[in-house]
Amino acid sequence: MSLNKNNKYTYLLIFFTIVINAQKNNINEKTAVLTQELEKVVVTATRTKKLISSVAMPVEIVSKKEIQQINAMRLNEVLEEQTGLITVPDYGGAAGVQMQGLDSQYTLILIDGVPLIGRIAGSLDINRISVGNIAQIEIVKGASSSLYGNDALGGVINIITEKPIRGTKVNMNYRGDSFNTHDFNSTIAIKKGDVSISAFINRYQNAGYDLNKTDDIKTIDPYVNHTFNTTIIYKINNKLRLNVSSRIYNQEQEYVPTANLKGKENANEWNNHLVLKYKENENFNGLFDFYITNYKTNSYLNNTDTNSLDSESYFDQLLVKPELRIVYKTKYHSEIVGGIGLNYETLDRTDFSTKPFFSAPYVFLQYDKVIGKRTNVILGARFDNHNKYKSQFSPKFAINYKANNHLNLKGSVGYGFKAPDFRQLYFDFTNNAVGYTVVGYNAVKTVIPRLEQQGQINNIIVPISSFDNKLNAENSLSINFGANFKASSLFSLSANVFKNNIKNLIDTRVIANKTNGQNVFSYYNIHDVYTQGIEINTTLKPSQQLKIKAGYQYLIAKDESVKQKFKNGNVFARDKNGSSFLLARNDYFGLFNRSKHMVNLKFYYNIPAWKLDTNLRTTYRSKYGISDTNDNGYLDKYDRFIKGYAIADFAINKNIAKHYKLGFGIDNITNFKDAQNISNIPGRIIYGKINIQF
Amino acid sequence: MNTIKFLTFAILFAFTTISCNDDNDDNIATSELKVKTVSNLHALQESDYTTNPPTISGDYIKFSFSTGTTTTGEDWDIAFRGTTILVNSGTATAADQPARTGNAQLYIANETTFANVTEVDTSLFKSDDATNGLAIAVAPNNGWYSYSGEPYHRITSTSGKIIVIKTNDGHYAKMEIESYYKDKDASNSANPDNSISGAQYYTFKYVYQAENTTKF
Repeated sequence: MSLNKNNKYTYLLIFFTIVINAQKNNINEKTAVLTQELEKVVVTATRTKKLISSVAMPVEIVSKKEIQQINAMRLNEVLEEQTGLITVPDYGGAAGVQMQGLDSQYTLILIDGVPLIGRIAGSLDINRISVGNIAQIEIVKGASSSLYGNDALGGVINIITEKPIRGTKVNMNYRGDSFNTHDFNSTIAIKKGDVSISAFINRYQNAGYDLNKTDDIKTIDPYVNHTFNTTIIYKINNKLRLNVSSRIYNQEQEYVPTANLKGKENANEWNNHLVLKYKENENFNGLFDFYITNYKTNSYLNNTDTNSLDSESYFDQLLVKPELRIVYKTKYHSEIVGGIGLNYETLDRTDFSTKPFFSAPYVFLQYDKVIGKRTNVILGARFDNHNKYKSQFSPKFAINYKANNHLNLKGSVGYGFKAPDFRQLYFDFTNNAVGYTVVGYNAVKTVIPRLEQQGQINNIIVPISSFDNKLNAENSLSINFGANFKASSLFSLSANVFKNNIKNLIDTRVIANKTNGQNVFSYYNIHDVYTQGIEINTTLKPSQQLKIKAGYQYLIAKDESVKQKFKNGNVFARDKNGSSFLLARNDYFGLFNRSKHMVNLKFYYNIPAWKLDTNLRTTYRSKYGISDTNDNGYLDKYDRFIKGYAIADFAINKNIAKHYKLGFGIDNITNFKDAQNISNIPGRIIYGKINIQF
Repeated sequence: MNTIKFLTFAILFAFTTISCNDDNDDNIATSELKVKTVSNLHALQESDYTTNPPTISGDYIKFSFSTGTTTTGEDWDIAFRGTTILVNSGTATAADQPARTGNAQLYIANETTFANVTEVDTSLFKSDDATNGLAIAVAPNNGWYSYSGEPYHRITSTSGKIIVIKTNDGHYAKMEIESYYKDKDASNSANPDNSISGAQYYTFKYVYQAENTTKF
C-alpha cells in the first residue's frame, strides 16, 4: 500500500475518527472494566527493577504476548513495528536498527544485559536473533553510556530471555510461509527444588528471494541457521544463586554476488554467561558477572568460469567481560548501584594491518533517590579507560516527577559514546577491481610509507604527522523530556521530545593520491550531527475485546556543517541540461535514510469465548533519500527520494483443545515492493503456524 | 495537465525567442559571446589490469577554443583522455602525454555558476607541472569531477565548478563540463565496460571571448 499524499490524510483521518469514537465508548463501558493489568517491570534503564511508569528515561517494553500475537520469528520483525524504530539494511545485507534517527551502529544490543558482538561493517544484524525464547524486549532511548559504556549512544535494546517457572514445560512451534521459510523452535524448561534448567532450540531456514528477475543474482541468497540456548539456575543457598547460560548460533548462506562467482558464507557464534548473585538482605546484594563471546565468519568465492578460488575472507572477534556489581539501599529512600569491570576484545580479520586488541577497564556509579513522595532523581556516571583511544567519562542525570495518579513528568540528560571500531583503526584494504585503498587511522603510519616505497603514491594530501593524536570516540549529548498520562486502564498517552547532539562523528577522507589515479582514504573526526523530534504513543481499550495502539515519530536529522554550507550558498547542483545552479537554504533535506514522519497503528481484537485473537497492524514511513544522485555530496531536494510507504500485517490465532494453538497471517498484505531501492521487503508473505505446549 | 505543460512550453519558447532578439539588438560585442556546446567528445582511455601497475593507454584528444574544434597540431588549449584533462603549458607529468609547447593556462572557479563567471581572475592561472601535478588534479573530488563509489561508480562533473582558460592565442574562455557520458546518459555507469556505460564522452559548453578583455 504505497500511499500518495491524499491517501495519507485519509489514513490519518480514519485514525482520529477511531480515536474519537473509542473515547465515546470509554464513558459507557468504564464501569464495566474490572481487571487491571499488572504493570510491567523494566531492568535495563537503571539496572534495578523498576515499574515502567516510574522510570525517568524513555522506555518501551515489548512483551512475549505481543511477540506471539504477531507470530514473529526474528528480532527485526518485532522491532520494526515499534514507534520510532526502523531496520535499515547495510551493504552486506545486515539489518540494523535506527533509533531516534541514529544509525544502527549507535545502538547497543544486549541479551540478558550483556552485549552481542560481530559488527562487521558497523551494524549488528538483528536478523540473527530468534524471538522464540524471549520473555520481553526492553528498549531504552537516549544515551545510556553512564551504565553501559561503549555503543550506548542512541540507546539500548535489551533482550530478556525466558526463565523456567515451577514444574516442567514443553513448548514447540512451527511456522512455514509462502516464501518457503521454515522456522521450528522448541523450549523445554524444568524447575525442581533449587535447580531449574531450560533448553531452547531453533532452526530457521530461509529460501531467499529475488526482487529483480532480470539480473543473474538473487536479492537475498538462501540460508539456514540454528540457535541453541541453555540456562541453568542453581539456588546454592538462601543468599547465593548461580545462573549459567550458553548460546550457540551458526548460519550457512549461499554467496553468489555475480553470475560467475559462487561461494558460501558461514557465521558461528557462541556466548557463555555466568552470573553469581549474592543477596545479603533486601537492602544489599552483589553480583558477579562473567561473559565471554566469540563471533566468527568465513566466506569464499569460486570463479565458475575458471573453476578456481576467487577470494576468501574471515572475521574472528572475541570479547571477555567480567563485571562486579553491587546494589545498596539506604535508610533514606535512596539506592546506590556501583560496578567495576573490564572489556577485553580481540579481532583477527582479512585486510587488517595487525591483530589488534582492546583492553578497557571501567567503573560506574549510580545514585537513585526518592525525594518526598513525588520526585525520583537519578545521578550516574561511568569512566572507561582505554588503551587505543581517549578515555571516556559519561555522566547522566534523570528525574521523574509524579504530578498525580495519572501524570508523570520525566526528563533526562546523558552522555553517550561509541569508540572507534577496529576497522576504523586497523583497516588495510585495497579494492582490486577499482584500485582505491582504505587505511585505518592507526595503520596510516605503516601503510603509507609502504605504499610510497612501492611507488604507488603520487602525492600526499594529509601529512602522516596529523595522525599523531588518537582518534576521538564519537560522542553525544542526549536530552529527553516527556510525560506519561494514564487516564485509566482504558486510555494512556505518552510523549517524549528528544534531541541528540553528536560530535566527532567519524567519516572517511582522501589522504593521498595514488599513481593509478585512485585515492587512499582514511578515517577522521569531522561532523557534528544532530537528531531531534518527538515521539508519541497511545493505547486505547474501548472494550475488553479491543485494544488500539498508535504511535508517531517526527524526526529532523541534519549535519550542522552542511546546514551552514547551504545557508552560506556554497552548495550547487546540476539541472537537466547540465548547468550548475545554486541551491537554496531549505533545499537541504538532512541525513540519508531518515523519514520525517513515522506512524504505526495497531488493532488487537480477541474473542475469549472462541479462544481467538486477531490483529491488524500498519506502519508508515514518509519519504527518505538513499543516495546523492546528483553527486554534490549532500542530500538535497533534487536527489531522488523513495516515496513514503505503508506496510500492513494481519494475524489470527486460535487455541484448540488444551495444548494446541493454530495461527494464520499475512505479512505485507498489499504486496508492497521496491526492487530497486528496498532490498529487505520481499513482498506479501502468507503463513501458517502451529504451537503445542504442555 | 497537458494543457499546462503546453502553455509553459509556449511561454518559455516565446520568452527565449524574445530574449535572443534583445541580445542581438542591444550590443554587437556581447552578441559574439555565444554559448557553444561540444557534445560527445570521445576521450578514450584503455586500462589493462593484468599488469601491475595497470597499463593505461590512449591518445589525448586536443581541443582549441579559438577554432572550437579538436586539433592534432600544437595549437591546442586543453586535452582529454579518460578523466584526465591537460593544459598546453608547463611540463608533462607522464611520458605518454603530449609535450607542452603553448601558453594556455587555466584555473577552476569554485562554487559558482557559468553565468556568474563574468570576469577572469588572472592571478589564479596554473600550468601543468611535473612536480606539482596537473593544473586540474586527476583525483576524484579534488579536480573537476566527483566519483559516486559503490555501487554506481558514476563520474559526475562537480556542480558549481567552472573552468576558466587563458587560450594559446591570448584570449579567455570559460567552460562547464556537463557530462562524462555519451548523450549525457549516466544510467549505465555501474557497468565496468565503457562501451556499455558510455563513459569517457565529454559534453561541455563554453564561451570564447574574442575581444581583448577579461570580462565575459
